[in-house]
Amino acid sequence: MARRKGLVISDEQMKVIDGVLSKLQHVTGSHFVALISTSGQPITVSPPDVQSDTLSLAALAAGSFAATRQLAEVLKEREFTLLFHEGKESNLHVIQVTDQILMLLTFGHDTQVGLVRLYTTRALEVLKPIFEYADDSEGDEKLIDQDYSLQAATALDDLFPEQGAQR
Amino acid sequence: MALINLAAREINYKIVYYGCGLCGNTTNIQYIHRRVNPAARGRLVSIATEEERTLYFDFLPLSLGTVKGLRTRFHLYTVPGQSFYNASRKLVLQGVDGIVFVADSQISRLDENVDSYLNLWDNLRAQNEDLSNLGMVLQMNKRDLGNIFSVSDLTELLNHTGSPVLEACALTGVGVFETLKTVCKQVIAKSSRS
Repeated sequence: MARRKGLVISDEQMKVIDGVLSKLQHVTGSHFVALISTSGQPITVSPPDVQSDTLSLAALAAGSFAATRQLAEVLKEREFTLLFHEGKESNLHVIQVTDQILMLLTFGHDTQVGLVRLYTTRALEVLKPIFEYADDSEGDEKLIDQDYSLQAATALDDLFPEQGAQR
Repeated sequence: MALINLAAREINYKIVYYGCGLCGNTTNIQYIHRRVNPAARGRLVSIATEEERTLYFDFLPLSLGTVKGLRTRFHLYTVPGQSFYNASRKLVLQGVDGIVFVADSQISRLDENVDSYLNLWDNLRAQNEDLSNLGMVLQMNKRDLGNIFSVSDLTELLNHTGSPVLEACALTGVGVFETLKTVCKQVIAKSSRS
């Protein structure tokens, strides 16, 4: 039985990832490029100051992609690795990087879909090996410890109102 | 289990509310959305049918703020309770850190509760991963209604893991934040030990 997989991304890995995403966003003319986990959590976005609800976007895109994979299974197709939504103003392109990672791009009609696919494929070649080393066992030991647990418990008590205060 | 971004100093935990149709999953999330500090919550996203039954999931991100230099977030999801939506439930369970099993306390809902509980464990086992560091809480909802099971009876039926049990009435908010707090503390404690 496999250990439950988490994902820890180091500073060095993130620097390379952000560099790849920034370049990809530039050459494709995308509005933004984001990496998310298949469980629906955002990892990083380029440009970093993009005005978008990335939390909701990540949850919905991951859900949509997961449903697409199930569609493939129903249709007895090995896998659909790409999801494309065409809109009036912009398009959304979601592609699988690894078992745990998805990439999404949004771009307008002045950008050619073929160009996006070409550059995305190249970016994936760089990104895939990085995530092979993004293990769940390294780097987090010092951060997620007993002290963190205690401080988080206090913060939770402060954030969530007591029953008496709710009424 | 959790997603840790050391560069951005961020950690994200995924909590899933699971239970049979009309058990009160969505009501829990809606209450949290209404009552939590607006600065700490994101948008409540619901993929529901026209009759407001959950079709795919509800999603609510909550921010705990910065803890020991780490921005800590909880992503709350519900699953559709109706039995024919099992494919959707499996998808929402991917990467889960903690589960709130919401039981409908009414005696008339016994079969639905048991089916949903067995279905939860079938789906978790199908992931073929070690479940020992998964947070788990049993919420007994609708305690304000008549004709309900006793706490001990429901515990015997729906809590083979000996997880914390909380009584609730999600409609009025009784027990809602206590449940959330309990599962959040559990997933953090388990991630600090794993």
